[in-house]
Amino acid sequence: MNSAYKKEIRYTLIFSALLLICGHLGLMFVAFPGLQNHMIFGFPSQYIIPITFGWLVLMAVVGIQAKLTNDLDDEIEALNAESSESIE
Amino acid sequence: MEHEKWVLEDPVLGMVFVGASFVIFYLIGWYSQRAAKSSTDYWTAGRSIGSITNGLGMASSYMSLATFMGVTALILKLKVPFVYMWIQFALSIPLITLWYGTPLRRMGAFTPAHFVRERYGVRTSYVTVFFMILIMVMYALGQMIGVAKVFEMLFGINYNLALICGGALIVGYVTIGGMYGTSYNAAFQMILMGVAFVVPLGAIMKAMGGTGWWFPPLFYSDMVPAMLEAVPDFFDMKYGFKWYLSLIPCFTLGAMGLPHLGMRVYTSANLKSARGAMVWFTFFCGIVFCSTYTMGFSGVYFQATSGSAIAPTDFDKITLILNSVYNPAWVLAFVIAGAIAAGLSTISANLMAIGAMIAQDIIATIKPDLSDKTMKVIGYLAIAGGGATSILIALNPPDFLVVSILWAFGLAGVTVAPLVMLGVWWKPANRYGATVACLVSGVTYIVVAPYFFPSIVVGGGLEAKVGMTGSLLCAPLCFFLLTTVSMITNNIPALMNRYDYKKDHVLIDKIHGWSDYSEERYNSNTAGIIVAAVSLFFCIYAVLPGGW
Repeated sequence: MNSAYKKEIRYTLIFSALLLICGHLGLMFVAFPGLQNHMIFGFPSQYIIPITFGWLVLMAVVGIQAKLTNDLDDEIEALNAESSESIE
Repeated sequence: MEHEKWVLEDPVLGMVFVGASFVIFYLIGWYSQRAAKSSTDYWTAGRSIGSITNGLGMASSYMSLATFMGVTALILKLKVPFVYMWIQFALSIPLITLWYGTPLRRMGAFTPAHFVRERYGVRTSYVTVFFMILIMVMYALGQMIGVAKVFEMLFGINYNLALICGGALIVGYVTIGGMYGTSYNAAFQMILMGVAFVVPLGAIMKAMGGTGWWFPPLFYSDMVPAMLEAVPDFFDMKYGFKWYLSLIPCFTLGAMGLPHLGMRVYTSANLKSARGAMVWFTFFCGIVFCSTYTMGFSGVYFQATSGSAIAPTDFDKITLILNSVYNPAWVLAFVIAGAIAAGLSTISANLMAIGAMIAQDIIATIKPDLSDKTMKVIGYLAIAGGGATSILIALNPPDFLVVSILWAFGLAGVTVAPLVMLGVWWKPANRYGATVACLVSGVTYIVVAPYFFPSIVVGGGLEAKVGMTGSLLCAPLCFFLLTTVSMITNNIPALMNRYDYKKDHVLIDKIHGWSDYSEERYNSNTAGIIVAAVSLFFCIYAVLPGGW
């Protein structure tokens, strides 16, 4: 099993988890009610943190996801080229 | 308190703005479609759409009439929990791209059903096509009815006439434009609706005394103390753990199963462009979503502090009401044009998906030898036919079809999404598991909804109506059945010898970009057992009482 394949599985699981965290912070606030009602930037924490994560942090995560998965595609293509050369 | 019903005082400017926007939509549709040389081009825009245009188009397909109308009513009703319900919709395109968008783009798929046909066989694809068309019709129907109601309000004509005229105009430009026209129109519509939503909102906030009016999506904290005084429970979480958890299977997974969103990825010029589009999508989506919360916040604030009571039947018109109170008439007209554009962008994407599934996943499967010219004509007829059917149904819609559009998300999440996700990532998934999982979980989801058999309902209240309780049970059920039935039938040679399952395995390696085949990749039984065990746990958790 080559490293590119392992990397593909790893990226998919890690980014799925990160994306779910960005979009579902409500679970954290309802599981730990002590995190609620702290004022941040003038808003209650349970309001502004999920909004910020659901937009700005999500954008950063998606940007990194795009970069790493693009690099992975290049890696797989290089491996394909290598294996076809060795067959020839 | 006396409720005053809101009426549009000066519709002429609105007619001018909406009329002008339709002229532009037709021009874009007609001009763009000239690039379509084949039926494949017609359905996939020649797989040539750049990342910014596609990002705008992706966001636009998501911004429906609800962004301008229904959503504000939901904020007035749900308050902060609504924000949680809406935030997670921005995960859709990134998750689709990550899990199956790029592999299906590599495969050259037209729709997710196309992949299901290649991966699980024709019979399974018919089952998924049935569910997908049902979901798309429900989705398009809600938009069609909404657009007709805006036309009714704007032109002062009766609902049926507004529906037929408005519907015919919409179906016309989608049919003419195909995916090229739909993509470029969607990008234009996103800009139009974004400006029409965000800029007037800034003016509303300024008029209300907000100092952060220059950036409405985030800067309105100075209104928070007054809001807390007027509506002390606005920021309360209100619901239990299960409510927030069920957002994942119902709406996050549901959005992953919507064919019209996946189809946007397939129009990309290449995989890097598709991933670039995903970043732009989150940017544009974020601006409008965050502004939607601000609009809802302003609506609740206005309702609580101005002393003017909004009639409950007008809750969905809060965006128009705030604009009519605080902005000049021409701005309100521009906002109405933006609302129509939002509805249109969604209907066009829905009609493209319905047309592609009828033409490519049903007719082309039954008659694979049709010429490209015939397929193009069939394409036009499929979209026009799908549109005409939606209009006819909307004239006198059956109750079961006008249930919440959000409920349709759940149906996609419990039928389509698990099949495609495991189909792309897990070789042991086979056609027996897929058919059983899709049918059983889809039918169970329908049965436990409050609309059909009121005596057999999981949970109750709003969460049952929008499908959250049903999907918390049925999405894991679908994963459980798909994994267990597949693992069992894989060990029954009499069943597995009926078709060439090795071909399905080769397809998986190919769509992930591997030029050679390896039996070891994507082939872990342990992974299947873990998915089955976790799914079973959530099935049991879903039916346990309490937690909502």
